[in-house]
Amino acid sequence: MGRIVLDKVSKKFGDVEVIPPLDLTIEDGEFAVFVGPSGCGKSTLLRLIAGLEEVTSGDVIIDEEVATQVPPSKRGLAMVFQSYALYPHMSVRKNIAFPLRMAKVDAAEQERRIDAAAKALNLTDYLDRRPGQLSGGQRQRVAIGRAIVRDPSAFLFDEPLSNLDAALRVGMRLEISEMHERLQTTMIYVTHDQIEAMTMADKIVVLQAGVIEQVGSPLELYNTPCNRFVAGFIGSPTMNFLEGDEAAKLGAHSIGVRPEHVAISTTDGAWKATVGVAEHLGSDTFLYVHPTDGGEAMTVRVDGEFSARHGDTVYLTPKAEKIHRFDAVGLRIT
Amino acid sequence: MSTRTLPRLLQSPAVLLLLVWMLVPLGMTLYFSFIRYVLNSLRRPEWTKPSLSNWRGFGNYEFVMNSKDFWFAIQNSLFIVCSILFATVILGILIAILINKAFPGQGIVRVLLISPFFVMPAVNAVLWINMILDPVLGLNGLAVAGINDLIANLQNAPLVGGFFSLWPEFEPISFRATQTSAYAVIMMVTWQWTPFAVLIFMTSLQSEDQQQKEAAVLDGAGVWSQFRFLTLPHLGRPIAIVVMIQAIFHLSLYAEIEIVSRGNGNKNLPYLIGEFANNNIGAASATGIFAVILANIVAIFLLRMVGKTLME
Repeated sequence: MGRIVLDKVSKKFGDVEVIPPLDLTIEDGEFAVFVGPSGCGKSTLLRLIAGLEEVTSGDVIIDEEVATQVPPSKRGLAMVFQSYALYPHMSVRKNIAFPLRMAKVDAAEQERRIDAAAKALNLTDYLDRRPGQLSGGQRQRVAIGRAIVRDPSAFLFDEPLSNLDAALRVGMRLEISEMHERLQTTMIYVTHDQIEAMTMADKIVVLQAGVIEQVGSPLELYNTPCNRFVAGFIGSPTMNFLEGDEAAKLGAHSIGVRPEHVAISTTDGAWKATVGVAEHLGSDTFLYVHPTDGGEAMTVRVDGEFSARHGDTVYLTPKAEKIHRFDAVGLRIT
Repeated sequence: MSTRTLPRLLQSPAVLLLLVWMLVPLGMTLYFSFIRYVLNSLRRPEWTKPSLSNWRGFGNYEFVMNSKDFWFAIQNSLFIVCSILFATVILGILIAILINKAFPGQGIVRVLLISPFFVMPAVNAVLWINMILDPVLGLNGLAVAGINDLIANLQNAPLVGGFFSLWPEFEPISFRATQTSAYAVIMMVTWQWTPFAVLIFMTSLQSEDQQQKEAAVLDGAGVWSQFRFLTLPHLGRPIAIVVMIQAIFHLSLYAEIEIVSRGNGNKNLPYLIGEFANNNIGAASATGIFAVILANIVAIFLLRMVGKTLME
């Protein structure tokens, strides 16, 4: 079990309110991702759930029990830190055994659980090494192993992949998703990387300045962002926004259209523009184009076969049904 | 000239100077330790000049080993050094942990804590032996006298008077006595050197990874387990450094021993060398060689320990 409910939880550091009162429910077995720009309070929120920070007001409820006053070790949660936080003086085996040792689990049971975790994480050959002798990915696995052996009701991940290089990140992303499928345990994952959020989450929680902007599945957020912030944050490359006449025509203060929802033509279309930089990814090409009427530069995602050079004139036509409309304060108009 | 000769040539003056600096005193000590050489002798005036014709072989060494104070001095040297190390390391760790958390006035407290280290050893010894440990005028004497007065007054009190009249009169401890002078030296040097340990441990504690501690908290480790499994291993290397440096310094204690009891009941090797050097330079040199050997044994032992901690 691992149903976590935040009931009007708020956090102040001194006089600064980092998190105004917020409500959130994470269902048992869900993979929830907290995403937002740095400083948005997502890590603080995770630490509040873990009990490493005390809530200023409100309650953290874990499995229908108010856990606000329960010490971190008794909440049944396991956390994986960005810096891995492995114990440098202990071997991998002892690192993984540490929570069991603290819980006074008997030696045979410890041995069994360590072996199971090591096997699941491909660490069997490294059990007698020290963290200092391991690569970043291996250290991350040890940190996850230390979390798994406790058999927690929920896993908390605090930007676990940001210290890894790009290739490893993709690999570990898959491993964590795989682990979630296998264990079906609640996981809360904090990241600033919207690609990690989109690829792994059952439920994404978008945060800005301590406020939840939107909660939903990856595709809900992609298809119907509830405001301009979410629209701009989710999706890569980011959505193009237009204000002024174009928006007014559709009865909105601003309109947004994703780079992949703009049709491009060399002969005719709604907007005329000049090609700036073209980024060739092979399968796709990102074109950064400048409208000839002097508007904001736009990004367009075109097929990799499309050839356009710097300075070429192109015509753009947004797909009408894929245009997002926003009012003056940035809220979505439906 | 090859590319390696020039750097060697440029280094050589410094290397030579250091060699001469070390080898000449060591050579002279060795030479003196094998000859009869005294500063003043009316009966044998030829011994007052160092000369190979006064060759004594291992006679000086034999003389030193058979002198009544030698084995006691070695034992006492080790006792003093080990006691000081033990006390400073434990006190150092406790105080460093105590002042590691932020509190108002932290800066001042830290400066005050470090200050004993700036007191000269001789001044430190004079202050302690006269103002704190003196059985009449020092804190020791005053405190014991105060307790005795209090008990004397309570003996006349109703109800509890009978109980207190059973109490004996307390005697202040005389720290200049044969049996206790080593403890006086240990106390004053511990007071002076604990700040050194605190300083090193404090810097080390500040570099401790806080996320590791948080991970340990989540793993269910209590305060003691965090100390035992995270802080203590983290302090392993600084402890080795403190032990090593202090051992080397405290093997050569002199001023404190001289001031507390003039070596009465409390000699170490340097003090013994000083006593022999009043007249018998040959015996003093032989003792000096023994001191070098002892220091090397201790250093090798400690280096092993440091090496072991580094390996972990």
